[in-house]
Amino acid sequence: MSDIVIRVEGAGIRFRRNRRGRRSFKDLFAGSNRRARPDEFWALRGVDVEVRAGEAIGVVGRNGQGKSTLLKLVAGVMLPDEGRVDVHGGVAPLIEITGGFVDDLTVRENVHLTAGLHGMTRAEIDERYDEIIDFAELGESVDTPYKHLSSGMKVRLAFSVISRLEEPILLVDEVLAVGDKAFREKCYRRIDELLAGGRTLFFVSHNERDLKRFCTRGLYLDKGLLQLDGPIEGVLAAYDSDYGSRS
Amino acid sequence: MPVPLSIVTLASPSRPPRTPARVYSQTLWLLTSRDLKVRYSTSFLGYLWSVLDPLAMAVIYWFVFTQIVDRAIGAEPYIVFLLAGLLPWTWFNGAIGDSTRAFIKDAKLVRSTRLPRSVWVARIVLSKGIEFLLAIPVLLAFAIVFGAELTWGVLWLPLAIALQAALILGLCLMIAPLVVFFRDLERAVKLVLRFLFYASPIIYGLSDLPDGLDVWMAFNPLSGIISLYRASFFPDQVEPFAVIVAAIMSLVALGAGILVFRRMVRAVLKEI
Repeated sequence: MSDIVIRVEGAGIRFRRNRRGRRSFKDLFAGSNRRARPDEFWALRGVDVEVRAGEAIGVVGRNGQGKSTLLKLVAGVMLPDEGRVDVHGGVAPLIEITGGFVDDLTVRENVHLTAGLHGMTRAEIDERYDEIIDFAELGESVDTPYKHLSSGMKVRLAFSVISRLEEPILLVDEVLAVGDKAFREKCYRRIDELLAGGRTLFFVSHNERDLKRFCTRGLYLDKGLLQLDGPIEGVLAAYDSDYGSRS
Repeated sequence: MPVPLSIVTLASPSRPPRTPARVYSQTLWLLTSRDLKVRYSTSFLGYLWSVLDPLAMAVIYWFVFTQIVDRAIGAEPYIVFLLAGLLPWTWFNGAIGDSTRAFIKDAKLVRSTRLPRSVWVARIVLSKGIEFLLAIPVLLAFAIVFGAELTWGVLWLPLAIALQAALILGLCLMIAPLVVFFRDLERAVKLVLRFLFYASPIIYGLSDLPDGLDVWMAFNPLSGIISLYRASFFPDQVEPFAVIVAAIMSLVALGAGILVFRRMVRAVLKEI
C-alpha cells in the first residue's frame, strides 16, 4: 500500500446560521470552544477519512451538505473547529480558480503571479510558461489585460495554470461545468493524464458520469456527516436511493 | 492498484521542499510587487503619486504657517521639517487605511490559496513602506534646495523605520481581521486617522507643545518615531523619553497584533 497523503480525523467545522447574528468581541476570542452556540450549526462533524497516494475520490451529496467545505478543509483554505486535517504534500486547488487573477495586469504577468502564489518557483514558471499558454489557447493574447478576456478564456487560463502545478494532490470543485465542450474534454484528458501520473484526486461534482469516469472511491456526505465511504458505484447508488437524484 | 511511487518523487522531481520562511518571503514579494505594478501600470504619473500627495500637503501647511500666520513652530527650513514628518505619516496612514480592506479586497484569493494568512496584511505594510523609501529622495532634494544640513542624526533612520514597521504591522494585524466582522470599523479607522494626524507632531514638533502636554504626547508612539526621522536634519528634535515609549509601544502593538490575528484567523476564513 502507498502512503497516506490526506488524513482527516474527527474534523468538524461550524458556521453561523444567519450572517446578521449578534456577535460580541467575546465570541470572537472564544476560539477553541467545543460547543456550538444556539445560532450556529455544524456544517461537518466527526468526519474521518484517510486517503492514500494515487487514489481518486469523488464526493457526493446534495447542496449544502458539506462537500465543498470538506474540500476547503483539505485545501487548507479553511481551518477545522475540532479534529485535525493533515495533508502531506502540496495541493493544486481547482477551487475558485480565477480568484488570483488581477484585472489590470496582462495575461503574461498574471500567469507569473498566480503560479508563484501557488508555489511555483521562477524557473519552473519560465519552463512551463509556453505549455500553459498553449493549453489555454491564448497565444495571441499574452499582452492583453486580463479584464479584456472573455469569461471562457479566463477559466481556460486559470485551469491551465493550476493544472500545471505538478502538486501531488489535485482538488477539483465543479469548475469543469464552465467552458465550452471542446475545452471541457481537454480538461478531462488533462485530469486523466495527471491521474495516470499518480496524482491523488479529490473531486466534488453532481455529475454522475464525471464521477464514474475519474473516481474509484466515493464519499457520501449528508447532514454534515460522512454517511458512506466505499467504491464509487455503491456510493452513487446509496445517494440515488436516498434522494432519487436521477429520474 | 495505486501507483507505487513515493510522495516526494510525485511532488516535483527537481525541487527540494521549500522552507516556510522561503514560501513566506516569496509570496510576500510577489504580492507586494503586484500591488506596486498594478498601481504604476494603471496610472500615468505612477510613482509620482506616492510623492505628490505628501508634497501637496507639505506645500499647504508651509503656506499657512509661514506665509499667512507667522507662528514659530517646528524648525527652519520649515518645509523640510514638514516633509520629514509627512512622509512617514503617509506610510502610516496609507497602510492602516488599506488594512481595513486587506481581506475584503482579495477575498477570492484568500479563499482559494493556502498561504500564511498574515501575508495579506504584511504585504500592505511592505508595499506602502517601499513607496515611503522611494519618496525619501524627494526629501533630500528639498533639503539640498533649502539648505538643511544632514547631521549624524541620520544614523537613527534605520531604528525609526524598524519601529514604524513594527507599529504599523501590529496595528494592521489587529484591524484587518476585526473589520471583517465589524464593517463600521472601516469608517471609524478613517476618523481616528484624521484625528491622529493633528494629534501627532507632524506640522509641529514635540518641543512646541506647552509644558505637561508633551509628556502625554509621548504616549502617541508616532511622536518618538517622527522625532527620530527628524534627527537627520534637526538632531535637537530627538526626545529620548518619547523614543523609549515609542519603542515599547511598537513592540507591544506587534505582539498584540500577532496574538489577535492568530485567534481570529479561523473565523475570518469562514466569514469571507
